[in-house]
Amino acid sequence: MSPAALERWRVRSPLLLVAAFSWVALLCLPRITPTSVWCAALMSQPKQLAAMFVPLSLGWVLMLAAMMGPLLTLPLRHVRDRSFTRRRTRATALFLKGYAAIWIAAGVLLSVSALVLNRIAQDAFLRLAIGGVIGLLWQFSPFKERCLNNCHALTELSAFGAAADRDALRFGLSHGIWCAGSCWAIMWFAMLPPRGHLIAMAVATLWIFSERLNKTASRWDWRGPVRPFRIVIAQTRLLFARN
Amino acid sequence: MANTRQNVYELGNDWADPILWYARGVAAMKKRDLKIATSWRFYGAIHGIDAPLWTQLGYLSQSDQMPSANVRDRFWKQCQHGSWYFLPWHRGYLLAFEANIRDAVVKAGGPANWALPYWNYFKPGQNALPPAFASQDWPDGQGNNPLFVPQRYGPNSDGNVFVPSDQVNLDAMTDPDFTGVTSGGSRGFGGVDTGFEHGGQFHGGIETQPHDWVHGLVGGGDPANPQMPGLMSDPDTAGLDPIFWLHHSNIDRLWEVWRQNPPTDVNPTDPNWINGPGSLGQRIFSMPMPDGNAWDFTPGDVVDLAKLGYQYDDQTPLVAAISTSDRLVQLGATAAVAKAAAVGVRVTTGKNVELIGANQGSLRVVGQDVRTAVRLDQGMRRKVSAKLAAAVQTGQQPDRVFLNLENVRGLTDATAFKVYVGVPEGAAPSQYPDRFAGNISLFGVRKASVPSGEHAGQGLTFALEITKIIDALHLNNALDVETLGVRIVPVRPVAEESNISVGRVSIFRQGS
Repeated sequence: MSPAALERWRVRSPLLLVAAFSWVALLCLPRITPTSVWCAALMSQPKQLAAMFVPLSLGWVLMLAAMMGPLLTLPLRHVRDRSFTRRRTRATALFLKGYAAIWIAAGVLLSVSALVLNRIAQDAFLRLAIGGVIGLLWQFSPFKERCLNNCHALTELSAFGAAADRDALRFGLSHGIWCAGSCWAIMWFAMLPPRGHLIAMAVATLWIFSERLNKTASRWDWRGPVRPFRIVIAQTRLLFARN
Repeated sequence: MANTRQNVYELGNDWADPILWYARGVAAMKKRDLKIATSWRFYGAIHGIDAPLWTQLGYLSQSDQMPSANVRDRFWKQCQHGSWYFLPWHRGYLLAFEANIRDAVVKAGGPANWALPYWNYFKPGQNALPPAFASQDWPDGQGNNPLFVPQRYGPNSDGNVFVPSDQVNLDAMTDPDFTGVTSGGSRGFGGVDTGFEHGGQFHGGIETQPHDWVHGLVGGGDPANPQMPGLMSDPDTAGLDPIFWLHHSNIDRLWEVWRQNPPTDVNPTDPNWINGPGSLGQRIFSMPMPDGNAWDFTPGDVVDLAKLGYQYDDQTPLVAAISTSDRLVQLGATAAVAKAAAVGVRVTTGKNVELIGANQGSLRVVGQDVRTAVRLDQGMRRKVSAKLAAAVQTGQQPDRVFLNLENVRGLTDATAFKVYVGVPEGAAPSQYPDRFAGNISLFGVRKASVPSGEHAGQGLTFALEITKIIDALHLNNALDVETLGVRIVPVRPVAEESNISVGRVSIFRQGS
């Protein structure tokens, strides 16, 4: 393994572990699994939603850890590499606070809009069609690619004291904004089906992870998670070439 | 029998046959339209293209027919920078270009074993632009020499094109590792592990110096408009200058020279390097060949010069190895301790990289001399001193230390800096050559600073090894300080409109 790959794995391994635990928790804790909680929310009246706030929020946070955790390898490496060793844990925590704050706010907006759409378009097919059109328009737009490219941005960070704290938090906030900008449509679409939200989450996770591997110019273009298929094809070809 | 790439200054005369045939081949490629895959401008766009810049420089117009989107997506904007693919990709690019020139040479009645010369600007008396490129005329006095381009301004942007010997060096040749890290330490001789990387933020050793430097020194900037680069100064126009290919021939030759010092100084064996980015589901390396087909290649396909059918006339090692024992002796170790260390084994690189200090706030680079103070974390500074002291006693590997200029952004590539560390306040840096950290060329900075680009305008991050400076400060008991001064001295005054800035200046240790 190259020295750079080793550095990546030192950060990626704990993130994968946290993601794995989060998936297990989502599967095994019935009160907060997306399927049970979200389904219940879709069928609830607005005043009943207040009582579901805690399980909904807990489910959302676990979902973030499960889906987005592994995507944070690059920014977390940057925060840790460019901080003093004695500050790495603190800088990491501040980054994650800023990042989570954005996604929690995004979660509220996405949930409310999904619930509103559920009320307006009670037919599941219509709901999915509306969500699909909006999602695809965003997916192929240069704005989406601009957000995706900014997910690779590694800005300079102050090293000492309050300025270092401020910059780590700010980096978390900005990364959260670009990440939410890149992924909101897929996340929102995964909330629209009447059932099977866990499967929808899993598919969305693979989609988002595959997309994050790409960097291209910001322009209107067909854009999708084709890279995993290319990897499989390329590695298969290599295997046959060796044999 | 292998084709031999020769030193352009040792062919016999300024317009010896290899250069004359090169000029004829270049002329043939230049006659072809942009949409033809073996045309001069198409090959330039393979390295990089920026339509507005090409138009301003007169290399693109409304009447040009562009190749199809599929062709452009396959071939254009392919150059690998800030990546461990930098060397193998450019080797393949040169080979394909050489094949196209050779095809034109043979069709014009020239030799089938024509090979691309190289420009060894390090050799005494050979740092001026080869005369055939400096003349607007062919040797018979007829104008329109295809090797001449007006947008080649030189280090002082006055049209006198040469490579100043004090601004380039072969320090990268002493790095024992091909690939390194992005965390603040050594990037390695050949660059860091990336996927397909058209404009990476972290350049490797040989890419930084002399490669980037020669680009900037030869291209310079338009004296009438400092924002307009010489062709060689910008990655999106560099492939349009005929001297580009002789420069890269030399870089390719230096790669072969570096490989002559096993057991260190070897190419990666990692399958991700050998099989290239195509094996990772990304774009493949692909070049148009004279027979109309595309040549798809991987780094593994271009490691053996004998199999590729060429060689260099001179692969003499240029720089003596630095051993651990040499450094220990310089630090004050006894002969016995130095001998007990890995005698004769070159300095190897530790895996632990840690920040030692940093300045506060972004630094605008304007004018002639910019200063900042890197504040040292006292705990980390004591760690470095302790490791140096321990190394002298026990012979263990001492740390390497690197100065980082992070997130360097700007609107032009046509400038370069000398960087000094620890020069006394009020003193002229030029009076302290032992505090000279290194040179930084901004080749690639403009492209990396574009906000809508692949790295969202974060610029480039440079790493300069300052191990010797830190060793010297330690020996003079001058390392126990709160801050270390850093001086950035542009080789030409930087205009405010160039908007050059350094996000952060920092110092890292790399060791056990």
